[in-house]
Amino acid sequence: MIASFIPILAVDVLGSVAMVVISLLSLYKAKILREMDPDNAVFHYLLWISMGLTIFSVSRSFGHILKQFLVLTSNAGTWHSISAFSGSVNTVSFMLVGLITLFFNQSWKINEKILTGRKKLEDIHIELMDLNQTLENKVVERTERLTSSEHKCRRIFEQSLDTIIVTDSEFKIMEINPAGIALTGYARDEMIMKKMTAGKFFADPSEWERISNKIGSKEYILNEEIEFLKPDNESLLVLMTGGIDYGAFGCAKTYHFIIKNINEKRQMERQIAQADKFAALGELSAGVAHEINNPLGIILGYTQLLLKLEPKHKDDLKIIEKHVQNCKTVVSDLLSFSRKGSSELSIIDINKVVDGVAKFLSNHSDFRNVEMSLNPYTGDRLNILGNEQELGQVIVNLLINACHAVDGKGNIDITTQKTGQDNILIMVKDNGKGIGKKNLSRIFDPFFTTKPVGQGTGLGLSVGYGIIKRHQGDIRVKSSEGKGTLFTISLPADRTMA
Amino acid sequence: MTIAGLILLPIDVSATQLHSNSEGIITHQVGHLFFLFSMVALIFTITGKGLDKQKGWRLIQYSAFFFILWNLDAVAAHFFDNQINAVKIENISFGKMRIITNNDSSLLAWFYYILKLDHLLCVPAMLLLYRGLSHLVDDQRQMMVKKDTP
Repeated sequence: MIASFIPILAVDVLGSVAMVVISLLSLYKAKILREMDPDNAVFHYLLWISMGLTIFSVSRSFGHILKQFLVLTSNAGTWHSISAFSGSVNTVSFMLVGLITLFFNQSWKINEKILTGRKKLEDIHIELMDLNQTLENKVVERTERLTSSEHKCRRIFEQSLDTIIVTDSEFKIMEINPAGIALTGYARDEMIMKKMTAGKFFADPSEWERISNKIGSKEYILNEEIEFLKPDNESLLVLMTGGIDYGAFGCAKTYHFIIKNINEKRQMERQIAQADKFAALGELSAGVAHEINNPLGIILGYTQLLLKLEPKHKDDLKIIEKHVQNCKTVVSDLLSFSRKGSSELSIIDINKVVDGVAKFLSNHSDFRNVEMSLNPYTGDRLNILGNEQELGQVIVNLLINACHAVDGKGNIDITTQKTGQDNILIMVKDNGKGIGKKNLSRIFDPFFTTKPVGQGTGLGLSVGYGIIKRHQGDIRVKSSEGKGTLFTISLPADRTMA
Repeated sequence: MTIAGLILLPIDVSATQLHSNSEGIITHQVGHLFFLFSMVALIFTITGKGLDKQKGWRLIQYSAFFFILWNLDAVAAHFFDNQINAVKIENISFGKMRIITNNDSSLLAWFYYILKLDHLLCVPAMLLLYRGLSHLVDDQRQMMVKKDTP
C-alpha cells in the first residue's frame, strides 16, 4: 500500500516537540506543588513521576526527530546503527516511569502517616495552647487575687492604728508600720537598716528576756502589759500580742507582733481611780475636819480664857494652845484639800506668782546650794482666774519638795507655758532622786509622806491637788527614779481679757 | 588435584550466555507492558483512595488511560514490525511511502499506518497530566489561602 508519509512525519515531529514542552511544563507544576507543601510525600511522588516522564519524553522525542531527520536525509543506515541505543534508552525511561508509578500506593501511605502525625502534632499543639491559655488565665487570676490580697494586707498594715512589727528569728525588726514608728519614736531606717531588736523598746531588759523566752517556748504571747521606753526616755504602757510564723515556700520563720498603746487608757483609769479616792477622802476629811474644828475652837477659846484667869498654869496652857493651833492648821489643810473651804478669786498673772515664790524661796537657807532657773513664758500675760495665795502655796510646796528631792543641792527648773488659748502650764522639774513606782500613785494621798516622822504632815501635795482641782486645773507627775521628777500644773486661762 | 589439573590443563569454556537479536524487542515490549500495568495500577489506586473526586487527580487518571492506549498502540506496532515482521515500510519518494504487509493485507497496512500516529495518544496523555497538575496546584493554593484566612 502506498500512503502519504507527511501525516506520520508531522505528527511524529510536532508530537515529539509537544511531548518535550508539555513534560517540562508538568515538571514545573509538580515542582510548584512540592514547594507549596514540602512535607507532602504525594507531591514528591508527582515530582518524581514528572521527572521520569520528562526524561522519557526528551529521550523518545530526540530519538524520533533524529530518526526522521536521518531517514529524510537518506541516512537510514546511520539511524539503523543507533536505533538500538535510542530504543534502549526509551525502554529504560518508561520502565522508570512505570516503576515510580507503582510506588504511588507506598507514597500515599507514607503521606497518610505524615498527615496523621502532623494532625496529632497539631492536636497536641492546640491542646498545649489551650493548657497554656488556661495556665496563663489562672496565673493572671491568681496574680490579681494575690495583688488584691497583698493590697488589703498592705492597707491593714499601713493604716492600722496599732503597731505591727515583723521580726526575723532573732527578733531583729524586718517590717514596722507607720503607727509603730510613731509609737516607738525610732526612725524607720534606724530600726530596719540597723536591724534593731524588738527588745530595745522595752524599759526593763529583764521583761524582754521573759517575753522572748515565753514566745520561744509557747510560740505566742497574748495581751502582755509592757512598759516601753522611747528614745526621749518617755515611757508608755503597751499591750503586746505576738506569734511565730514558720513561713511558706522555704521562707525563714518570723515573729509577728501587734502592739496596742494603752498608756492613755491606763492613765485615765488611774486618774479616775485617783479622783474617786480623793473624792472619798475629801468627804471623809471634810466630815472629820468639821467635827474636830468646833471642839478645837472651844478648847482654844477656853485655853486662852484660862491663860488670862490662871497665870500660874501659863506654861502648860501655852503648850495646849500651841498644839491646838497645830491641830487647827491640819484641819484647815484638810478643809483646803476637801475643797470645802472658801476663797476669793481674782485675775492673776501666773508669771508674777511664780516669780514672787521663786524670789521668796531663793533667799531661804535650804535653797542656798540649789540652782533654780526660771523660764517664764514671754508671750501674752498668763492670766487666770484664781486665788493668788493658794496657787502660791501650791508652787511653794512643789519647790520645797523639789529641794528635798535634790537634797539641798541640784537643779530646779520652773517653766511657764501657754498651750493654745485655753491652758496655762506651770512645770517644776528637778534632777533629784525621783519617786519610786510604788509611791508614785500615792503622792497625792493625804498624810502620805516619805519623810521621817515629825518632819512632814503628808498634806502638802494633797492640799496642792485640792487647790488645783478647785481652780478647774490638773496636776500631773512624771518621775524616773534616780533621774528626777517633773510636776506639771495645768490651769485654764482666763479669757475675759482676750 | 582437580584444581591443579584445571590450572595446568586449561580447556575452552563459554563464560557468558549468548543473546539472540529478538531479545531487545522483547525487553522493549516488556517495558511497554510494565508501563501499561503501572498506569492501570495508578488508575485503580486513585479511585481506591477516592482521589478521583478532585478534578486534578481525575485528569491524571485520564492521562494514565491515554498512556495505556499509547502503550497498547506501541506494543501492537512493535509486534507487527519488529517481532513478527508482518509489516515493512519503504520510502519511495519524498512524502510517499509503501507499506508492505506479508499477505498484502491493506487492512493491516492501514491499521499499521494509524498505529504509527501514536503521538495522537501520548501527547494528550501528557497534556492531561499537565492539566491535572495545574488543577492540583490551584487546589493547593486555595487551601493555603483558606488556612491563612482567620
